[in-house]
Amino acid sequence: MTRQLTGSPAATAQAVPAPQRRGRWSGRTRRDFFVFLALALPNLALIAVFTYLPLINNMYYSTLDWTLGSTSATVVGIDNYVTFFTSSDAPQVLGTTLIFTVVTVGGSMALGLLVALALNAKVRGTTFARSAVFAPYVLSGVGVGLVWLFIFDPGYGVLSWLLRGIGQQSPQWINDPQLSLVMVIIVYVWKNLGYCAVVYLAGLQSLPKDVMEAASLDGANGFRRFMSISVPLLSPTTFFLLITTMISSLQAFDLIRIMTPLGNGTSTLIYEAYLQAFGAYNRAGYSAAISVVLFAILLIITVLQLRFVERKVHYS
Amino acid sequence: MAMNLDRRNFLGLAGLGVGAAALAACGGPSTSGSAASSSPSDIDFTGVKPAGSFDFWTSHPGQSQAVEQSIIDKFQAKFPDIKVNLVTAGANYEEIAQKFQTSQAAKSALPGLVVLSDVWWFRYYTNGNIIPLDGLIKQLDVKIDDFQKSLVADYQYANKQWALPYGRSTPLFYYNKDHFKAAGLPDRAPKTWQEFAEWAPKLQASSGAKYAYIYPALAGYAGWTLQNNLWGWGGSWSNGWTFNCDSTESVTALQWAQDSIYKDKWAGVSSKNAADDFSAGITSTTISSTGDLLGVLKSAKFNVGVGFLPGGPKAETNVCPTGGAGLGIPSGVSKEVQLAAATFLKFMTEPENTAAFSAATGYMPTRVSADMTAVLAKTPQIKTAMDQLAVTKVQDNARVFLPGADQEMAKAAAKILTQQGDVKATMTDLKATLDGIYTKDVKPKLKS
Repeated sequence: MTRQLTGSPAATAQAVPAPQRRGRWSGRTRRDFFVFLALALPNLALIAVFTYLPLINNMYYSTLDWTLGSTSATVVGIDNYVTFFTSSDAPQVLGTTLIFTVVTVGGSMALGLLVALALNAKVRGTTFARSAVFAPYVLSGVGVGLVWLFIFDPGYGVLSWLLRGIGQQSPQWINDPQLSLVMVIIVYVWKNLGYCAVVYLAGLQSLPKDVMEAASLDGANGFRRFMSISVPLLSPTTFFLLITTMISSLQAFDLIRIMTPLGNGTSTLIYEAYLQAFGAYNRAGYSAAISVVLFAILLIITVLQLRFVERKVHYS
Repeated sequence: MAMNLDRRNFLGLAGLGVGAAALAACGGPSTSGSAASSSPSDIDFTGVKPAGSFDFWTSHPGQSQAVEQSIIDKFQAKFPDIKVNLVTAGANYEEIAQKFQTSQAAKSALPGLVVLSDVWWFRYYTNGNIIPLDGLIKQLDVKIDDFQKSLVADYQYANKQWALPYGRSTPLFYYNKDHFKAAGLPDRAPKTWQEFAEWAPKLQASSGAKYAYIYPALAGYAGWTLQNNLWGWGGSWSNGWTFNCDSTESVTALQWAQDSIYKDKWAGVSSKNAADDFSAGITSTTISSTGDLLGVLKSAKFNVGVGFLPGGPKAETNVCPTGGAGLGIPSGVSKEVQLAAATFLKFMTEPENTAAFSAATGYMPTRVSADMTAVLAKTPQIKTAMDQLAVTKVQDNARVFLPGADQEMAKAAAKILTQQGDVKATMTDLKATLDGIYTKDVKPKLKS
């Protein structure tokens, strides 16, 4: 016979029905959910149509042998990927992408931090200097590319003129594939370091002053304070910049297109994808496969950064 | 009926949406048929009335927007029922091709008439993007025999006419008359490159220019102008569908070009635009399009001379390739639009209009009967370009019929002319690339 256990916790548990985890929603929850849908659906629809649909489209096209402009295509499965990874294109394009990304991300962030330190100083003219440093970032890449092309032109460019002044010949910045990569990297870093500088400056200005003062009282010099306090405390800013500048570098297009239309030496993954489909080759399927490779790389980098790099970030 | 919408249902619906999107994604090109080119028989336009309007896509070759508009205005006066919308569809042949092919892929917003360059029209043909003009030429009584033979022949394939010549050009040898005079050289273009090699040191010594000769920019159709060197030495990019750019003759020709830069040091390579470099006085001579002639004459601060392209040790003449753009009619528009576009195409290429276009741009008059008296009185240099037409040669298949070949040629030229790469090895690699493009992208689409 089972005894009735009144007043005990077990009895209370029996008397009060357990909350339903997967039951029907209450009227209020449902109303909230519809409000959520009303607010979120337009954005979700836009993202679905303009981001995910093209992404899925692109993945499908990457399985086709399709010449852009042709109304017919042949399904080739993973052939485009095999062709890319077994051709001489892959090491060349991936190598160029790696060099471009590492140097532009590293260069923009390192120089941006240095510029931010300079702009953080309490001297006259910093407001103008901040605007001047940030200005290239908001300029059109096409305009920037055209102006810098004129600067680098070995025949009648400004740089050539300066070099002639000291008895030197201008290097073939535009025709030499290796130098053209250097040229594009220089311009890209120049254009983007203002963004890193401004973000770093915001980070520097939010550093706790009491910690700095305490370190000063303990005898830490400026370099020590910077390395032991500022750099660790700036790690959220660095982490943010690392993700955004890396994605931005991997997607860099306008400067490369304007300064080196053939992509000779400067063909990163995204530019190679463009050249293959919309340049002279018209290999839309092959280009789609390269785009998917770029997408996969971006996804992996972002996941790795979120998973591993973020652990080393000090948020307080 | 009560709605049972919980999180699971919502996710299910979302999944369904993504699935539907994925299915919609499969609505690209048809994968059921073969990719071989369609070869439409002559289209019957009997009983078709021209459309009331159509778009004319052009890149305004040779800064021709004003003259194009004036010809359109004349057309409207004669054919008030057909409105021609002049559309700037790109800044150059590549951009207009990009827009045209994207529209083909989207199957929408196609023009009635489009500018197509020498390296693009053939892939439009293999993709079935343009119609043969033979039926329209007959119906509208276009005087095809009055066109410059070599220019109209460029657009013939499989016994059909796929376009008509429009902004047609050839390379031209430009020289600085003042530099030639100072160097004690005759006032003419060199007959051969060997002769020029003898002149070059004298030019360099007396002119003050950086180079005696500058090779055209590699991004600016290097494969086009280098045919002159290849042909002069008895080589070529290809012979029919045989790619012989690695032949002894071709390698010797490009080795000579490399030596002119690195060994003899009288030549350079333009970074952006050889015509601009020439006008700026950086070089005493160059080769550039006839389409650059008026611009050079306008901007140069010295006396400009022009001449035929120099020959080589194996061929002194017939070493000049044809080039430039034609006009074609897309297959993806209605017959009414095609007929309206053809009516305008006929008008646009009539002798007086081709003469007006030539006068404004420096491009070749495409009609034999075009009265060029007034044009030549104003710009006598055009006569040289016109005379050179008689010794032009149709370009190598490799350059004009293989998608991307021109770009590969430019890369190979960059390796040889700007990095001092091994000529034989570079040409061997290029041949392998061209073979690959032909086998994969062209051969399957050619009619047997």
